[in-house]
Amino acid sequence: MMETPDYQVQTDFFEGPLDLLLHLIRKNKLNINEIRLSEITTEYLSYLEKKKGINPSRESDFLTTAATLIYIKSRSLLPKPENPAEESPEKQLINTLIEYEKIQKISKLLQEMEYTERLLWRRLELNENFTNREYALKEVSAFQLAEIFFAIVRKKENEQFLYVSSKNYSIAAKQAEIAALVKENGYLDFSTYMNRLDSIEEILVSFFTLLEMIKRHLLIAMQETLFGTISLYPNLPGEMSN
Amino acid sequence: MTNEQIALIEAILFVSKDPLEPERIMNFLEITDVEEFEKILQAMEKKYLLDRPERGLILKRSGGGLQLVTKPEYHDALKDFFTIKQVTKLTLASLETLSIVAYRQPATLAEISDMRGVNTSGPVKNLLQKKLIRISGRKKVPGLPALYATTPEFLIYFGLNDLSELPSLEELTELFEEKEQPSLFK
Repeated sequence: MMETPDYQVQTDFFEGPLDLLLHLIRKNKLNINEIRLSEITTEYLSYLEKKKGINPSRESDFLTTAATLIYIKSRSLLPKPENPAEESPEKQLINTLIEYEKIQKISKLLQEMEYTERLLWRRLELNENFTNREYALKEVSAFQLAEIFFAIVRKKENEQFLYVSSKNYSIAAKQAEIAALVKENGYLDFSTYMNRLDSIEEILVSFFTLLEMIKRHLLIAMQETLFGTISLYPNLPGEMSN
Repeated sequence: MTNEQIALIEAILFVSKDPLEPERIMNFLEITDVEEFEKILQAMEKKYLLDRPERGLILKRSGGGLQLVTKPEYHDALKDFFTIKQVTKLTLASLETLSIVAYRQPATLAEISDMRGVNTSGPVKNLLQKKLIRISGRKKVPGLPALYATTPEFLIYFGLNDLSELPSLEELTELFEEKEQPSLFK
Protein backbone atom coordinates (compact mmCIF):
# COMPACT_ATOMS: atom_id res chain seq x y z
CA MET A 1 0.00 0.00 0.00
CA MET A 2 1.07 3.52 -0.55
CA GLU A 3 2.06 5.03 2.74
CA THR A 4 2.70 8.73 2.72
CA PRO A 5 5.78 9.58 4.77
CA ASP A 6 3.70 12.54 5.76
CA TYR A 7 2.08 10.66 8.61
CA GLN A 8 5.30 9.70 10.32
CA VAL A 9 5.92 11.15 13.69
CA GLN A 10 9.34 12.67 13.68
CA THR A 11 11.62 12.54 16.67
CA ASP A 12 11.03 15.69 18.65
CA PHE A 13 8.71 16.78 15.86
CA PHE A 14 11.31 18.38 13.68
CA GLU A 15 10.16 18.66 10.12
CA GLY A 16 13.68 18.44 8.81
CA PRO A 17 17.28 19.57 9.30
CA LEU A 18 16.39 23.22 8.66
CA ASP A 19 13.69 23.09 11.30
CA LEU A 20 16.18 21.63 13.76
CA LEU A 21 18.78 24.27 12.94
CA LEU A 22 16.29 27.09 13.41
CA HIS A 23 15.27 25.56 16.70
CA LEU A 24 18.89 25.51 17.90
CA ILE A 25 19.44 29.09 16.78
CA ARG A 26 16.30 30.24 18.60
CA LYS A 27 17.12 28.21 21.68
CA ASN A 28 20.51 29.90 21.95
CA LYS A 29 18.89 33.28 21.26
CA LEU A 30 21.22 33.90 18.37
CA ASN A 31 20.67 36.30 15.50
CA ILE A 32 20.64 34.46 12.22
CA ASN A 33 22.61 37.16 10.42
CA GLU A 34 25.39 37.22 12.97
CA ILE A 35 25.57 33.59 13.88
CA ARG A 36 28.54 31.43 13.05
CA LEU A 37 27.07 28.12 12.10
CA SER A 38 30.17 26.34 13.30
CA GLU A 39 29.09 27.22 16.84
CA ILE A 40 25.94 25.14 16.72
CA THR A 41 27.44 22.27 14.76
CA THR A 42 28.28 20.33 17.92
CA GLU A 43 24.77 20.70 19.22
CA TYR A 44 23.30 19.61 15.89
CA LEU A 45 25.50 16.53 15.80
CA SER A 46 24.70 15.55 19.38
CA TYR A 47 21.03 15.71 18.48
CA LEU A 48 21.61 13.26 15.63
CA GLU A 49 23.46 10.92 17.94
CA LYS A 50 20.57 10.91 20.38
CA LYS A 51 18.12 9.97 17.67
CA LYS A 52 17.02 6.39 17.94
CA GLY A 53 15.97 4.27 15.02
CA ILE A 54 17.05 4.97 11.51
CA ASN A 55 14.72 5.86 8.72
CA PRO A 56 17.11 6.05 5.77
CA SER A 57 15.16 8.49 3.62
CA ARG A 58 14.60 10.84 6.53
CA GLU A 59 17.99 10.55 8.19
CA SER A 60 19.77 11.18 4.91
CA ASP A 61 18.40 14.71 4.80
CA PHE A 62 19.66 15.31 8.33
CA LEU A 63 23.02 13.77 7.48
CA THR A 64 23.48 15.90 4.36
CA THR A 65 23.09 18.99 6.49
CA ALA A 66 25.42 17.55 9.12
CA ALA A 67 28.07 17.10 6.42
CA THR A 68 27.59 20.69 5.27
CA LEU A 69 27.93 21.92 8.86
CA ILE A 70 31.15 19.98 9.40
CA TYR A 71 32.50 21.30 6.12
CA ILE A 72 31.66 24.84 7.20
CA LYS A 73 33.32 24.28 10.55
CA SER A 74 36.48 22.84 8.98
CA ARG A 75 36.68 25.81 6.61
CA SER A 76 36.41 28.23 9.51
CA LEU A 77 39.42 26.58 11.14
CA LEU A 78 41.59 26.93 8.08
CA PRO A 79 43.09 30.14 6.82
CA LYS A 80 41.19 30.98 3.65
CA PRO A 81 42.01 33.20 0.76
CA GLU A 82 39.44 35.97 0.49
CA ASN A 83 37.31 35.42 -2.52
CA PRO A 84 34.26 37.63 -2.33
CA ALA A 85 32.91 36.54 -5.71
CA GLU A 86 32.32 33.05 -4.48
CA GLU A 87 29.44 32.49 -2.10
CA SER A 88 30.60 30.57 0.94
CA PRO A 89 28.69 27.42 1.95
CA GLU A 90 27.94 29.14 5.23
CA LYS A 91 26.29 32.08 3.49
CA GLN A 92 24.33 29.69 1.30
CA LEU A 93 23.04 27.72 4.26
CA ILE A 94 22.12 30.89 6.12
CA ASN A 95 20.17 32.13 3.11
CA THR A 96 18.33 28.83 2.94
CA LEU A 97 17.56 29.16 6.65
CA ILE A 98 16.24 32.70 6.23
CA GLU A 99 13.98 31.52 3.41
CA TYR A 100 12.88 28.54 5.46
CA GLU A 101 11.97 30.75 8.39
CA LYS A 102 9.64 32.68 6.10
CA ILE A 103 8.03 29.43 5.00
CA GLN A 104 7.43 28.49 8.61
CA LYS A 105 5.71 31.81 9.17
CA ILE A 106 3.49 31.37 6.13
CA SER A 107 2.67 27.85 7.30
CA LYS A 108 1.66 29.18 10.65
CA LEU A 109 -0.55 31.76 9.01
CA LEU A 110 -2.14 29.12 6.79
CA GLN A 111 -2.70 26.97 9.86
CA GLU A 112 -4.57 29.79 11.58
CA MET A 113 -6.61 30.37 8.44
CA GLU A 114 -7.36 26.68 8.20
CA TYR A 115 -8.52 26.69 11.80
CA THR A 116 -10.96 29.58 11.36
CA GLU A 117 -12.23 28.21 8.05
CA ARG A 118 -12.81 24.77 9.49
CA LEU A 119 -15.31 26.28 11.93
CA LEU A 120 -17.54 27.20 9.01
CA TRP A 121 -19.44 24.30 7.54
CA ARG A 122 -20.36 24.20 3.90
CA ARG A 123 -22.61 22.01 1.87
CA LEU A 124 -20.61 18.85 1.12
CA GLU A 125 -18.82 19.02 4.45
CA LEU A 126 -20.38 15.72 5.45
CA ASN A 127 -19.26 13.96 2.31
CA GLU A 128 -15.69 14.65 3.31
CA ASN A 129 -15.92 14.05 7.01
CA PHE A 130 -18.88 11.87 7.74
CA THR A 131 -17.48 8.74 9.31
CA ASN A 132 -20.68 6.95 10.18
CA ARG A 133 -21.85 6.40 6.66
CA GLU A 134 -21.13 3.03 5.26
CA TYR A 135 -19.56 4.33 2.13
CA ALA A 136 -17.94 7.71 2.16
CA LEU A 137 -17.47 7.69 -1.59
CA LYS A 138 -14.75 9.85 -2.95
CA GLU A 139 -14.72 10.78 -6.57
CA VAL A 140 -11.34 9.90 -8.01
CA SER A 141 -9.27 11.80 -10.49
CA ALA A 142 -7.76 10.64 -13.74
CA PHE A 143 -4.44 10.90 -11.89
CA GLN A 144 -5.40 8.10 -9.51
CA LEU A 145 -6.85 5.96 -12.27
CA ALA A 146 -3.60 6.32 -14.19
CA GLU A 147 -1.63 5.26 -11.13
CA ILE A 148 -3.52 1.98 -10.86
CA PHE A 149 -3.38 1.53 -14.60
CA PHE A 150 0.40 1.68 -14.66
CA ALA A 151 0.64 -0.69 -11.71
CA ILE A 152 -1.40 -3.24 -13.67
CA VAL A 153 0.60 -2.74 -16.85
CA ARG A 154 3.81 -3.29 -14.92
CA LYS A 155 2.41 -6.51 -13.51
CA LYS A 156 1.31 -7.74 -16.92
CA GLU A 157 4.67 -6.93 -18.46
CA ASN A 158 6.29 -9.55 -16.26
CA GLU A 159 3.88 -12.25 -17.27
CA GLN A 160 4.65 -14.68 -20.05
CA PHE A 161 2.07 -14.93 -22.76
CA LEU A 162 1.62 -17.43 -25.51
CA TYR A 163 0.03 -15.69 -28.40
CA VAL A 164 -2.08 -17.79 -30.66
CA SER A 165 -3.52 -15.00 -32.68
CA SER A 166 -3.81 -11.33 -32.11
CA LYS A 167 -7.15 -9.72 -31.68
CA ASN A 168 -8.10 -6.26 -32.70
CA TYR A 169 -9.78 -4.26 -30.01
CA SER A 170 -11.93 -1.28 -30.76
CA ILE A 171 -13.09 1.40 -28.39
CA ALA A 172 -16.65 1.04 -29.61
CA ALA A 173 -16.74 -2.69 -28.92
CA LYS A 174 -15.09 -2.20 -25.54
CA GLN A 175 -17.56 0.45 -24.61
CA ALA A 176 -20.47 -1.87 -25.37
CA GLU A 177 -18.82 -4.61 -23.32
CA ILE A 178 -18.16 -2.35 -20.33
CA ALA A 179 -21.62 -0.82 -20.48
CA ALA A 180 -23.15 -4.33 -20.47
CA LEU A 181 -21.01 -5.37 -17.48
CA VAL A 182 -21.89 -2.26 -15.51
CA LYS A 183 -25.56 -2.73 -16.32
CA GLU A 184 -25.48 -6.34 -15.27
CA ASN A 185 -23.65 -5.86 -11.94
CA GLY A 186 -24.59 -2.30 -11.16
CA TYR A 187 -20.92 -1.38 -10.98
CA LEU A 188 -17.49 -2.45 -12.18
CA ASP A 189 -14.41 -2.93 -10.05
CA PHE A 190 -11.57 -1.25 -11.88
CA SER A 191 -8.66 -3.43 -10.70
CA THR A 192 -10.50 -6.74 -10.97
CA TYR A 193 -11.64 -5.93 -14.47
CA MET A 194 -8.22 -4.79 -15.65
CA ASN A 195 -6.47 -7.77 -14.13
CA ARG A 196 -8.74 -10.14 -16.01
CA LEU A 197 -7.71 -8.81 -19.39
CA ASP A 198 -5.37 -10.78 -21.59
CA SER A 199 -2.90 -8.40 -23.10
CA ILE A 200 -1.42 -4.99 -22.67
CA GLU A 201 -3.11 -3.98 -25.88
CA GLU A 202 -6.49 -4.88 -24.47
CA ILE A 203 -5.72 -3.08 -21.21
CA LEU A 204 -4.76 0.02 -23.13
CA VAL A 205 -7.92 0.01 -25.19
CA SER A 206 -10.05 -0.64 -22.09
CA PHE A 207 -8.39 2.13 -20.16
CA PHE A 208 -8.94 4.68 -22.89
CA THR A 209 -12.52 3.49 -23.27
CA LEU A 210 -13.07 4.00 -19.54
CA LEU A 211 -11.56 7.48 -19.63
CA GLU A 212 -13.73 8.32 -22.63
CA MET A 213 -16.85 7.03 -20.88
CA ILE A 214 -16.05 9.02 -17.74
CA LYS A 215 -15.43 12.09 -19.84
CA ARG A 216 -18.78 11.67 -21.52
CA HIS A 217 -20.40 11.24 -18.11
CA LEU A 218 -21.58 7.72 -18.89
CA LEU A 219 -19.65 6.39 -15.90
CA ILE A 220 -18.51 7.83 -12.65
CA ALA A 221 -15.39 6.61 -10.84
CA MET A 222 -15.64 6.30 -7.06
CA GLN A 223 -13.21 5.27 -4.39
CA GLU A 224 -14.65 4.01 -1.13
CA THR A 225 -11.63 4.57 1.03
CA LEU A 226 -8.39 6.40 0.55
CA PHE A 227 -6.09 4.10 -1.48
CA GLY A 228 -8.97 1.62 -1.74
CA THR A 229 -10.27 0.01 -4.87
CA ILE A 230 -11.91 2.16 -7.49
CA SER A 231 -15.36 1.25 -8.69
CA LEU A 232 -17.15 2.52 -11.74
CA TYR A 233 -20.83 3.27 -11.52
CA PRO A 234 -23.30 4.26 -14.19
CA ASN A 235 -23.72 8.01 -13.98
CA LEU A 236 -27.47 8.19 -13.52
CA PRO A 237 -28.96 11.65 -13.43
CA GLY A 238 -29.83 12.72 -9.92
CA GLU A 239 -27.76 10.02 -8.33
CA MET A 240 -24.18 10.19 -7.08
CA SER A 241 -24.00 13.68 -8.42
CA ASN A 242 -23.76 15.20 -4.97
CA MET B 1 -33.49 46.13 -3.30
CA THR B 2 -36.49 43.96 -2.63
CA ASN B 3 -37.10 41.22 -0.12
CA GLU B 4 -37.80 38.96 -3.03
CA GLN B 5 -34.33 39.49 -4.47
CA ILE B 6 -32.71 38.63 -1.15
CA ALA B 7 -34.88 35.55 -0.76
CA LEU B 8 -34.02 34.40 -4.26
CA ILE B 9 -30.28 34.85 -3.72
CA GLU B 10 -30.57 32.90 -0.50
CA ALA B 11 -32.45 30.11 -2.25
CA ILE B 12 -29.87 29.88 -5.02
CA LEU B 13 -26.95 29.86 -2.59
CA PHE B 14 -28.68 27.30 -0.39
CA VAL B 15 -28.85 24.79 -3.22
CA SER B 16 -25.36 25.30 -4.62
CA LYS B 17 -22.56 23.13 -3.35
CA ASP B 18 -19.78 25.36 -4.69
CA PRO B 19 -19.27 29.11 -4.28
CA LEU B 20 -21.19 30.96 -7.01
CA GLU B 21 -19.73 33.84 -8.99
CA PRO B 22 -21.55 37.07 -8.10
CA GLU B 23 -21.76 38.00 -11.81
CA ARG B 24 -23.83 34.93 -12.52
CA ILE B 25 -26.40 35.86 -9.87
CA MET B 26 -26.39 39.49 -11.00
CA ASN B 27 -27.15 38.51 -14.57
CA PHE B 28 -29.89 36.18 -13.46
CA LEU B 29 -31.53 38.88 -11.33
CA GLU B 30 -31.00 41.36 -14.19
CA ILE B 31 -29.10 43.75 -11.96
CA THR B 32 -26.60 45.77 -13.95
CA ASP B 33 -25.34 48.11 -11.26
CA VAL B 34 -22.50 46.49 -9.33
CA GLU B 35 -22.95 48.90 -6.42
CA GLU B 36 -26.61 48.06 -6.13
CA PHE B 37 -25.82 44.38 -6.06
CA GLU B 38 -23.12 44.97 -3.47
CA LYS B 39 -25.70 46.78 -1.30
CA ILE B 40 -28.03 43.80 -1.49
CA LEU B 41 -25.20 41.46 -0.54
CA GLN B 42 -24.13 43.62 2.37
CA ALA B 43 -27.68 43.80 3.67
CA MET B 44 -27.97 40.05 3.37
CA GLU B 45 -24.60 39.49 4.99
CA LYS B 46 -25.23 41.65 8.02
CA LYS B 47 -28.84 42.60 8.62
CA TYR B 48 -30.42 39.34 7.54
CA LEU B 49 -27.85 36.79 8.64
CA LEU B 50 -24.98 37.92 10.88
CA ASP B 51 -27.02 40.25 13.07
CA ARG B 52 -29.88 37.80 13.46
CA PRO B 53 -29.22 35.49 16.40
CA GLU B 54 -32.00 33.15 15.24
CA ARG B 55 -30.13 32.43 11.99
CA GLY B 56 -27.45 29.73 11.83
CA LEU B 57 -25.91 30.79 8.54
CA ILE B 58 -23.65 33.51 7.26
CA LEU B 59 -22.73 34.65 3.77
CA LYS B 60 -19.15 33.79 2.92
CA ARG B 61 -17.08 35.19 0.09
CA SER B 62 -14.25 32.90 -0.85
CA GLY B 63 -12.73 31.43 -3.97
CA GLY B 64 -14.10 34.50 -5.76
CA GLY B 65 -17.66 33.40 -5.09
CA LEU B 66 -20.58 33.52 -2.69
CA GLN B 67 -21.59 30.72 -0.42
CA LEU B 68 -23.80 30.12 2.59
CA VAL B 69 -21.91 28.58 5.49
CA THR B 70 -22.73 27.92 9.13
CA LYS B 71 -21.81 30.37 11.88
CA PRO B 72 -18.51 29.45 13.53
CA GLU B 73 -20.06 29.19 17.00
CA TYR B 74 -22.05 26.12 15.92
CA HIS B 75 -18.97 24.12 14.96
CA ASP B 76 -18.94 22.02 18.13
CA ALA B 77 -22.68 21.42 18.09
CA LEU B 78 -22.53 20.26 14.46
CA LYS B 79 -19.66 17.96 15.28
CA ASP B 80 -21.69 16.44 18.12
CA PHE B 81 -24.83 16.09 16.06
CA PHE B 82 -23.12 14.33 13.17
CA THR B 83 -20.84 12.41 15.58
CA ILE B 84 -17.67 13.50 13.88
CA LYS B 85 -14.73 12.64 16.06
CA GLN B 86 -12.03 14.53 14.35
CA VAL B 87 -11.97 17.25 11.77
CA THR B 88 -9.22 16.56 9.28
CA LYS B 89 -6.38 19.03 9.32
CA LEU B 90 -3.30 19.38 7.17
CA THR B 91 0.02 18.25 8.59
CA LEU B 92 2.82 20.72 9.15
CA ALA B 93 4.73 19.18 6.23
CA SER B 94 1.73 19.71 3.97
CA LEU B 95 1.29 23.29 5.17
CA GLU B 96 4.95 24.07 4.51
CA THR B 97 4.65 22.57 1.05
CA LEU B 98 1.53 24.59 0.34
CA SER B 99 3.25 27.75 1.54
CA ILE B 100 6.06 27.24 -0.93
CA VAL B 101 3.71 26.44 -3.79
CA ALA B 102 1.48 29.41 -2.96
CA TYR B 103 4.34 31.91 -2.95
CA ARG B 104 6.65 30.40 -5.53
CA GLN B 105 4.24 28.93 -8.00
CA PRO B 106 4.75 27.28 -10.31
CA ALA B 107 7.36 25.22 -8.44
CA THR B 108 8.89 21.81 -9.04
CA LEU B 109 9.21 19.04 -6.47
CA ALA B 110 12.99 19.56 -6.40
CA GLU B 111 12.58 23.26 -5.66
CA ILE B 112 10.08 22.55 -2.88
CA SER B 113 12.26 19.83 -1.33
CA ASP B 114 15.26 22.10 -1.56
CA MET B 115 13.54 24.90 0.31
CA ARG B 116 12.26 22.58 3.03
CA GLY B 117 15.56 20.70 3.30
CA VAL B 118 13.72 17.37 3.12
CA ASN B 119 12.25 15.16 0.46
CA THR B 120 8.70 16.36 -0.05
CA SER B 121 7.18 13.84 -2.45
CA GLY B 122 4.80 12.55 0.24
CA PRO B 123 3.17 15.89 1.05
CA VAL B 124 3.01 16.82 -2.65
CA LYS B 125 1.15 13.63 -3.43
CA ASN B 126 -1.16 14.17 -0.47
CA LEU B 127 -1.96 17.71 -1.60
CA LEU B 128 -2.57 16.57 -5.18
CA GLN B 129 -5.05 14.02 -3.87
CA LYS B 130 -6.76 16.69 -1.78
CA LYS B 131 -6.87 18.86 -4.92
CA LEU B 132 -5.20 21.75 -3.09
CA ILE B 133 -2.44 21.81 -5.72
CA ARG B 134 -2.35 20.75 -9.35
CA ILE B 135 0.20 20.13 -12.05
CA SER B 136 0.22 23.34 -14.06
CA GLY B 137 2.80 22.35 -16.63
CA ARG B 138 6.33 21.06 -17.11
CA LYS B 139 9.52 22.94 -16.50
CA LYS B 140 11.64 23.20 -19.63
CA VAL B 141 14.74 21.66 -18.05
CA PRO B 142 16.16 18.15 -18.42
CA GLY B 143 13.65 15.60 -17.19
CA LEU B 144 10.74 17.98 -17.73
CA PRO B 145 9.71 17.97 -14.06
CA ALA B 146 6.10 18.75 -13.21
CA LEU B 147 5.32 22.27 -12.04
CA TYR B 148 2.86 22.62 -9.19
CA ALA B 149 0.42 25.47 -8.62
CA THR B 150 -2.47 26.08 -6.24
CA THR B 151 -6.08 25.31 -7.22
CA PRO B 152 -9.41 27.12 -6.74
CA GLU B 153 -10.04 24.60 -3.94
CA PHE B 154 -6.96 25.97 -2.19
CA LEU B 155 -8.57 29.43 -2.10
CA ILE B 156 -11.86 28.05 -0.81
CA TYR B 157 -10.15 25.90 1.80
CA PHE B 158 -8.35 28.88 3.30
CA GLY B 159 -11.20 31.33 2.76
CA LEU B 160 -9.35 33.47 0.22
CA ASN B 161 -10.81 35.21 -2.78
CA ASP B 162 -7.55 35.37 -4.60
CA LEU B 163 -3.87 34.80 -4.04
CA SER B 164 -3.20 38.51 -3.61
CA GLU B 165 -5.04 38.29 -0.28
CA LEU B 166 -2.08 36.41 1.16
CA PRO B 167 0.27 38.88 2.85
CA SER B 168 3.49 39.65 1.02
CA LEU B 169 6.69 38.30 2.52
CA GLU B 170 7.56 41.74 3.91
CA GLU B 171 4.16 42.17 5.50
CA LEU B 172 4.46 38.72 6.94
CA THR B 173 7.63 39.53 8.83
CA GLU B 174 5.97 42.59 10.38
CA LEU B 175 2.83 40.63 11.15
CA PHE B 176 4.74 38.12 13.19
CA GLU B 177 7.12 40.57 14.78
CA GLU B 178 4.22 42.39 16.36
CA LYS B 179 2.69 39.49 18.15
CA GLU B 180 5.39 36.94 18.56
CA GLN B 181 8.74 35.80 19.82
CA PRO B 182 11.70 37.95 18.82
CA SER B 183 12.34 37.27 15.18
CA LEU B 184 15.64 36.16 13.80
CA PHE B 185 15.64 39.14 11.49
CA LYS B 186 16.58 42.65 12.44
